[in-house]
Formats: sequence, C-alpha cells, structure tokens
Amino acid sequence: MFRFLHSADLHLGKPFGAMPDELRGRLREARHTVLDRLAAQARAAGAETILLAGDVFDTETPSPAVQRQALAAMAGHDGLRWILLPGNHDSLAAEALWAGLATSRPGNVILATEPAPFPLADDVVLLPAPCTTRRPGRDLTEWMDMAATSPGTVRIGLAHGPVQSFSEDGGASDVIAPDRATRAGLDYLALGDWHGQMRIGPRTWYSGAPEPDRFKHDAAGRALLITIPAAGAAPAIEPVETGSFDWRTLALDCLAGEEPGAHLAALLPIGPARRQTLLRILATGRTRPPARARLEADLKAIAPEFALLQLEAQELVTECESEDLDQIDRAGALRQAAETLLAESRDEGRSSSEREVAREALMRLFSYCAAAA
Amino acid sequence: MKLTALRLHNVRRFAGSGVRIENIGDGINVLCAANEHGKSTCFDALHALFFQPHTGTPGAVQALRPYSGGNPLVEADLTTADGAFRLTKQFYGGRRAQVRERDSGRVIAQADEAERFIAALVKGGISGPAGLLWVRQGVTGIERRAKAEDETERRARETVLTSVQGEVEALTGGRRMTEALAVCEEELLRLVTATGRPRTGGPYAIAIDESEQLAEQERRVGAEVADLRAALDRRRAIRGRLAEIDTPETARERQAALAEAEAELSAAKAQAESLKAAESKAALALNRRVSAEQALAGFRQALARFADLREAEAGAAQQRDAARARHQGAAGVVREAAAAVENAEREEREQRDLLARLERALRAQEAANRLATARDSEREAQATREQIERMEATLKSLILPASKIAELEQAEGQLLQLQARAEARAPHLRIDYADGAEGGISIAGVTLAQAEERALIGTTQIEIATIGRLTVTAPQAEEDSHSIAKAQAKRQALLDELQVDGLAAARLREGQARDLKADLDLGRRRLQLLAPSGLARLREQIALLETEAASANEAPADLDAARRQLGTVEARVGSMREAARAAQARTETSASALVEAERHAAGLSSALAALAESLGPEAERRGREERLSTEHDETELAWRAAQQQVEELAARRIDLAAAEARHQRLRSVVDAAREEITRLREEAAGLDGRIQTRSEAAIEEAWQETRDKLALAQQRTAVLAREVAVLTRLRDALEAARSQARDHYFAPVLQELRPLLGLLFDDASVTFDEDTLLPRSVRRNGQDEQVGVLSGGMREQLAILTRLAFARLLAKGGQPTPVILDDALVYSDDDRIEKMFDALHRQASAQQVIVFSCRQRAFARLGGHVLRTEPWHPDS
Repeated sequence: MFRFLHSADLHLGKPFGAMPDELRGRLREARHTVLDRLAAQARAAGAETILLAGDVFDTETPSPAVQRQALAAMAGHDGLRWILLPGNHDSLAAEALWAGLATSRPGNVILATEPAPFPLADDVVLLPAPCTTRRPGRDLTEWMDMAATSPGTVRIGLAHGPVQSFSEDGGASDVIAPDRATRAGLDYLALGDWHGQMRIGPRTWYSGAPEPDRFKHDAAGRALLITIPAAGAAPAIEPVETGSFDWRTLALDCLAGEEPGAHLAALLPIGPARRQTLLRILATGRTRPPARARLEADLKAIAPEFALLQLEAQELVTECESEDLDQIDRAGALRQAAETLLAESRDEGRSSSEREVAREALMRLFSYCAAAA
Repeated sequence: MKLTALRLHNVRRFAGSGVRIENIGDGINVLCAANEHGKSTCFDALHALFFQPHTGTPGAVQALRPYSGGNPLVEADLTTADGAFRLTKQFYGGRRAQVRERDSGRVIAQADEAERFIAALVKGGISGPAGLLWVRQGVTGIERRAKAEDETERRARETVLTSVQGEVEALTGGRRMTEALAVCEEELLRLVTATGRPRTGGPYAIAIDESEQLAEQERRVGAEVADLRAALDRRRAIRGRLAEIDTPETARERQAALAEAEAELSAAKAQAESLKAAESKAALALNRRVSAEQALAGFRQALARFADLREAEAGAAQQRDAARARHQGAAGVVREAAAAVENAEREEREQRDLLARLERALRAQEAANRLATARDSEREAQATREQIERMEATLKSLILPASKIAELEQAEGQLLQLQARAEARAPHLRIDYADGAEGGISIAGVTLAQAEERALIGTTQIEIATIGRLTVTAPQAEEDSHSIAKAQAKRQALLDELQVDGLAAARLREGQARDLKADLDLGRRRLQLLAPSGLARLREQIALLETEAASANEAPADLDAARRQLGTVEARVGSMREAARAAQARTETSASALVEAERHAAGLSSALAALAESLGPEAERRGREERLSTEHDETELAWRAAQQQVEELAARRIDLAAAEARHQRLRSVVDAAREEITRLREEAAGLDGRIQTRSEAAIEEAWQETRDKLALAQQRTAVLAREVAVLTRLRDALEAARSQARDHYFAPVLQELRPLLGLLFDDASVTFDEDTLLPRSVRRNGQDEQVGVLSGGMREQLAILTRLAFARLLAKGGQPTPVILDDALVYSDDDRIEKMFDALHRQASAQQVIVFSCRQRAFARLGGHVLRTEPWHPDS
C-alpha cells in the first residue's frame, strides 16, 4: 500500500493586484499557509509524500522571499516528502528558479525536473513529466509509455497541463492524452493545471488548487488523498479540504415585481465565515427601479462583513413602468425628461451602450427625485 | 372630451342613495345650489373618477366614503372624438373600473385597461397639464384638499396664487427639476469641467492619470519580462551550442584534419617551386630565341628598306626640282599682274581728277548765270522799295479819317438845312417880266430870269434897269442867323482840322488816297515777288553766287565723255585685280607644293643616312647577316630543350590551390570554433548576470501585479466615463425637457391669455414673466403693483383665466377638455364677476365649462345651461 497527497497549482507569490490592498495581503498569506494545511492533511491521513503537480510558483521568477519561505515551510514539516514538478507557470525555462531551488532545497524537498523514473519507495516509481517551457507544444507524458519498471512496481505519473479542452489557457495542440494512465500502465496519474478538482478517469485526476484564486470554479480549496493498495489495484481517492478563502458566485435571478433581496439573505453565508468569503453576486433577470435601489442599498450595508462583495448587474435589466415614472412626476417637464430617457432606453434603433446610458440616467433621476422626496 | 352626465352613489352624504346630473351640454353649464347640496361632492367624485385608481384607498378616496361606510360608485358619460363612453368606478368593496360604449353598453375596457383609457383622456398626452383645468377656491386637483370651511381669506389668497405657480412648475418640473438639475450638475462637475474635459484633481482625471501611469509601468515591466525571457531563451540556445562544439573529442578531430591538410600543402608547395624554376628557365630560353629571331629579321628588313629608300630619294629630288620651276613661273605671273593693276589704278585716279575739275567748272558757269538774274532782281527790288516808301509817305499825308468826313458831311447838311429854312422864311421876290423887259432886273450883277424867285435876306440891292437901284432890307430872324453862324463855325473848324477847303476837296482827297493805297499794295506784291525772303537774303545769295562763279578757272568741256572714260578705266582696274588675285593663289599653291617636295626629299635623305649608319659599311653587311642567322638557330634549340623539361614537371604536379583551400578551411574551422566558444561563454556569462538580476527582482510577479492594477484602473476609468456619460445624458434630457416645456406652453398660453385679460381688466394691464409664466405685476392707474399684494379676487381671476388659456390651447391642439370650476369666484365683486362671466362665455363658444357655485344670486347672471341634480340609483 502506498498513500500520498496529490495537490497542484499553489501559485505561490500570486500578486492579486486587482484586489484592495488589505485583502491582497491576506490572499497572498493564505497561499503561503496552504503548505501547512496540506502538511496537516497528509499527517492526519498518515501519508508521507506530497506530490505537487506543477505551478507551485506563480511565475518563473518568484521573489527570493517567496522561494525561501516556501522551502522553509516545507523543511519545517519533518518526516514529510515534498515532490515539486515544474508547471507551465514555473517551467524548466525558469533555469534560475530551478537552479536556485536545487542548491537551497532542504533534504525533504525533491525536484522532479527530469523525465526519468524516480523511486518513491521500494516498489513505487514516480514518472514525472516536467514542463520544459511555458508551452511545450507536445504531450510530455508520452515517454511514460516506454518507461520500463520491474513487474509489480506501482507506477505513478505526475504531469501538468490541459487534457483535451480542459485548459486554463485554452490551446489544444499540446494536450495530455486523457487515457495516458491506461496506455502507460499507470496506477495513478496526478495532474495539475485545472484549478477545479476534476476526475478524468478512474486513475486520473486533477487535484484542483488547494487555495482557490478566482471565482471560476466556485468551490472550496481541496487536495486529493490517494491510496494505492498494490500495483494494478484501483486507487482510493478522497478529497480533503485545504482552502482558507471561499470564492463564491451567487446567481440571483430576479423577476419584475419581486423583491430581489428577499431570498438573497438565505443564500449568504452567515457569521464569521463571511470574513473568509469573496462573494460575487451575478444578478440577472428583470427588476424595477425601487427594488434595484433597495438591492444595492442592502448589499452596500452588508459588504463590509465580507472579504469582498461584488454585484455584477450587467445582465439585470431594470425596467420602468409608468407608475415608476409617476414617482418622478405625474406630468410636466420632469416627467417628459423621464419619458424621453425611457423611450431611448427601449429604442432598438440605438446602440446598446446608448440605451444603457439612457437607462442609467433614468435610474439616476429616480434616485434624485427619491432623495428630494 | 366633453362630459354629458355625472352620477354618483354612496358618496359622502349620499350614503345609500345617489344623485345624478344629466344633459350636461356644450358651452357653459352651471350647477347652482346652496351649500351642502352636494356640489362639492360632485366635484370630488368626478375628480376621483378621473384621477384615483379604483384599487387604491388614498385620502381622496377615503374622503368620498360616507361616514356609515359603503362602496362609493361614480359614473360619468362623455363624448370624445372616438365616440360616446360611460366610465364607471367603484371603490372599496366590489372595486372596479369600467369603460363602456354609452349607447350600446358594450364593455370596452375593464380594470387596469380602463384606468389607462381614463388616464389617456385626462392627461391629454404625456406632457399635458393633468388636473390643471380643475379649479376650486385655489385648490388644484392634484393637491390634497384642505377643508374649504376652515380656509381663511388669507389662506385662500395664498393657495390661489401658489396653485398657479404649482401648475406652472408642474409643466416645467419646477423646484424638483431645478433640484435634480443642480444635483446632476454638481455630480458631473465633480468629474469634468464645464466643457466636458476631466476635471484636474477630480476622481475621473485621477483615474485616467493612474491608468496611463500604470499602462506605462506595465509596458516598462512587460519589456523587462520579455527581456528576461529572451535572455533565458538565448542562454539555453548558447548552452546547446556549446555542448555541440566545446568537447575534447571534437577539438581533437579538428586538429587531426588540420595537420593532414598541412602536410599535403607543403608537398604541393615543393613541387610547385621546381615547376616554377623550370618554367622560368624555359621562359628565358624563349626570350633569347625570340630576340635572336628579331635581330635577324630586323637586319634583313633594313637591307631591303635601304634599297627602297635610295630609289625613292632620287624620285623625290626630281619632284622637288619640278616644283621649284613651277613656283618660279607662278611668281613671275604675280609680279606682272601687280604692275598691270598699278598702271590701271593710276589711270583711274587721273581720270577721276579730270572729271572733278570739269564738274566744278560747270557749276561755276551756272552760278554766273544765276548771278546776273539775281542782280537784276536786286536792282528792281531796290527801286520798288524806294517807290513804296515814297508812296507810303504820300499816303500818310493824304489819308483822312472817315469819321471826320462823315461829320463834315453832317455839318454841311445841317448848315444847308438852316440856310434853306432861313431862306424859306425870308421874303421872296419874283419877277414876271413884261414882254420885252426881260433881264431888266439884276441883283448883285446877276440878272433875274423870267419868273425867277429869290429870297431877300438882309439888305439887298436890286438893280432895275432903267429904273435904278432898289434897296430892300428884310429883317433877319435873330434865331436863324445865330444857328447858321454856329453851324458855319463848326463846319469851318472841321475844314481846318482836315486842312481842306470844302467837302468836295475832302472827297477828292479821299479818292486820291484810295488810289494811292491800291498802287502801294501792287508795289508791295512786286517786291515780294522779286525778293521772297527779303532783300538782305537776296544780297547774301548774290554774294554766294559771286564766290561760286569765281571758283572755276577752267572752261567746261565734254563731261559725259569724261564720265564714260572713267567707267572704262574702272572696269579695267577690276579685271586686273582679279587676275592678280588668281595669280597670287596659284603661287601660294605652288609654294606649298615646293615646300612639301623639299620636305619629302630631305626626309628621305636623312632616313637613308640613318639606315646606312645602322647597317654599317656596305662591305661588311653580308658577313653580319650570316652571324645573326647562326645565333638564331642556336637559341631555338636551347628553348625546345627547356620547354620539354617544363612539360615533364607539369604532368606530375599536385593541385596547390585545392591543397591551400583545404588547409585554409580546416584552419578557419578550428579558429571559428575557438572563437565561437569564447564568445558564447562570454555572452552566457553576461546573460547570467542579467537573468540573476531580473529573477531576484521577481519581475514577473511585479508585471502580473501591474497588469491587475492596470485592469482595475481601466475599469474604474470606464466606470467614471460611463458615469460622466450618464450624468451628461441626464442633464441634457432635463434641460431639453425644461426648455421644450417652456417653448411648448409659455408663449402659446400667453397668447391665449392676453385677449382674456383685456376682456377682464380694461382698467389694468397684467405683465407676465415670459420665463415662468407667472403674473409679475399689474399696472393700474399708472401704478405698478406686485402680484403678491393683489387682492384675492384678482388672483383667483388670474388663476381661472390662466386655466381657460390652457384649455383653449388644448382645444386648439385637438384635445378639447372641460374646465371645471367649483366655487372658483369667491372673492370677486359683482362687477368683476360680470366680466368674468363674459370671459367664460367667450371661452365657452369652443369649450365646455362646468361651474359649481353656491352663490345663486350672483351666478344667476352667468346664464348658460342650468344643471340640476336628481336622485339616482344604479340599476344593478
């Protein structure tokens, strides 16, 4: 039996430049401390080996602080073995990085920089496929088919890159064959690159990022605990939680005449979890100006409780009816201006941006008149 | 729209009962009833029907409900351009709204659709003055109604005025519009300047600046990243290349190949040198052979040439002599021709001199002839001039002034007239002789003839023959004698002046003078003929002619013969000259031929002499030729031997150029490899440094961070740009709506209002603010009054007139709307009410006006259609 923790895409040193300053520091810190959380999960499960399938570092030139502190954190977990594979973000093209790691690595950190069998235990061999450049342009796992091992040896593949269309960057020429595990007789193929956890086959998984860094995948940070009973036997695969921040997208489908904020409250996390939550509310459907204004006010009120709270309402159509216009004025020039803007916002002959501007101008007029009242 | 009927049930005091007003007609309709008869209820119910949704229960609806509760029902019939309709609304329980065709009862719209139908009726288009045309004691339909009973006069005044203001503002948006615009402007100006440029220091400008700075930073860092990546790629390439060329094995291979090439090259060089020596020897032998051959051939040629030259020299000497003889002959001809020309020219000169002398003599002879004529003319002219002078002198003495002669004639005539008159007055004597006695009487010795009459003047002595002397003294008239004496004196004075004896003498002298003058003219013309330019000029000509006549001392001979002779001589001179020129040309040709012949001969002689010198004495020439021939044969043999040796060597030689090229190539391979290795190692070292620096600065991380920040800044800029666009659009929409409302209503309403004002206020003129449509001041009795201090009556009248003006405007726009007045004229005096009635009637010609009033007496004078309330209960 061989047990190990499979993770990838730590992206240490990711800057999060678009985030508010205070949150940036916390997000970067969470990326660093995920090493400790991985170690804790490994220890808890009795695994001694942690395979990191690429993109440990966010760039080819992480700052010395990021490198050294990461190595120090790994060294601090005595009795655990960290195996680092070059990914597309930190490929072998980053010679300085890998040369630096080679000289300063502690004893329990192993760099899988050669596509050659590496013994993990007496009857366990690791077949790594390090990324040679940012875009190798070929399937780097191909060599595994030919790699000979003595019979009865557990063969574990380690690779980084897209499988068919599952790509973070979107190309298709250099994909990893999804059936590589079968072709190369692997007991397990540990993949990195896709930040969401995903099963490709019974023996092939993307572990996902242990600490999420974007809204795309809408899931908590996780790693995989793999147990291989023996060569050829089906591996046991168990997801484990490792994330610190929760990146969530909340779809809010509004109906005209409904209060959009009404069922929002039920969907929001409660209590201190909010501090660790980056929430994106994706509003769609239709609403009326007062309801829209209330929704915005509600969100503004609770926003400080969250690490981040964004309302994306480009898809939310705010419609005006004549009774809405009555709130501006029943008649007269003010009403006339409102009607003009309303007509403009509905005029199919105009560009969508013009219509949008007219609609927003009308919303603004609402708010002015509401404030005056 | 016109109302034709109103019915209500369960409204306010009509709990459980109803009331109806039917047959509301065109023009003015009056419902006059005492208070608490329900006319305000009718007004409110009608208002609710039009303006309160059937679903709601706001204050206005609550106010309709009886105290005992119940469901108010209001129904109205009306006609529009589309037909006749019946609107029904019930509030609270069984709430409903319904529009039916009045005549058929067919339901057209219910509930919300009915509400929309009603709304479209009253609003008169979206921007129309909703509720404007409802007037009650200064309260408009859209305002919450205060309890009329509690209103004080002060309060009423206030609300009447504010209601006008409020409605005008309703059109233009009023205070709310101003506030909205102000907020909009303020927010906009925080971002951009008045001209729409980002405001310096404002959030928009800051965001734009930040975006630009970040973009610049992103470019810079991106370039550094690209530089780093390029450096990494380059270093990898270098390392690959070094792995290929910088190994001991490849170095050994290169060296071995080079050594082999060097050995081959030195062998080739040795062979090449022997060949070169043989070749130079052969070349030397060839040179010798060639020079020997040339010497022999040259000598033989010289001999042949010597013979030719000698022959040519003899011929040339003969030619030269012949040329010289020809030249001498030609020179003789030239000399003769020159002498002939000279003779002919001398003869020509002599002939010319002779001709000149002859011509001079001829001219002198002519001058002598003309001189004689001129002298005759001169003499005659001199004589003529003297004669003229004399005649002029005589004429001067003869000539009399013509006026004096006329004067003399007049004096003579006057005297004669006086004398005749005196004579006529004097006694006359007549004698009629008896026969035989004739001539017997004489006076002063003159015999009186038969029947002769004679005047007796003064004392007259008459001799009578045979009788004696008879003296008769006739008294002389004093006056006559005096006049005659005076006339005689005048005549005498004139005669003295003219120095003549009498008039006849004067006349004679005048005739003489005339004749003399004619002669004088004749003389002058003659002188002119003789000496046209004057006598002096004539004398000068004479002197000239004298000189000319004296100039020739030779007798003129035959001039024509002399001239013909000269022509002949000149022709001869010409032909002589031509002959001389031809001879000269010939001699020049012969001279150059002579020079050429001499030069040719001299050239040949010198060539011959030189050749003879080089050939040596004639006796030794044969032996020398033989020596040269032998020498030539020997050198020929030597050259053939050397040539053979060269051919033998060349057949065996190695290609030196190929060996050298190969050696060169292998050496350059070794050198290039060494140089490339050195260069690549240096470049790699440089790249190491660059990569190290960039890597340690975490440049990619910084780049990513900058890109994120840039995206954020750009997003923020876009948001602000959008904000600017939104605010600008809103501001423009508000301003456009306000100005449109003004344009749309103000001027037309004012136009409608003016005639109504004239009708009402004949003693006052009201001015309106063109911008706000509010009455500004009233001018009465020469005093301007601000509208604020107007009486309540005046203000309510203004309020009604303004509404009537609006109603007219709407009617003209094809939307006739009833004007509904509920006790609207509370404060007006009777006089004014009359005028107001006039205004209403004027208005009602095209407009439905419904008046509710409790002032029965006052409104009795309004006239119009009188409405009555009747009890009513709905059918169902």
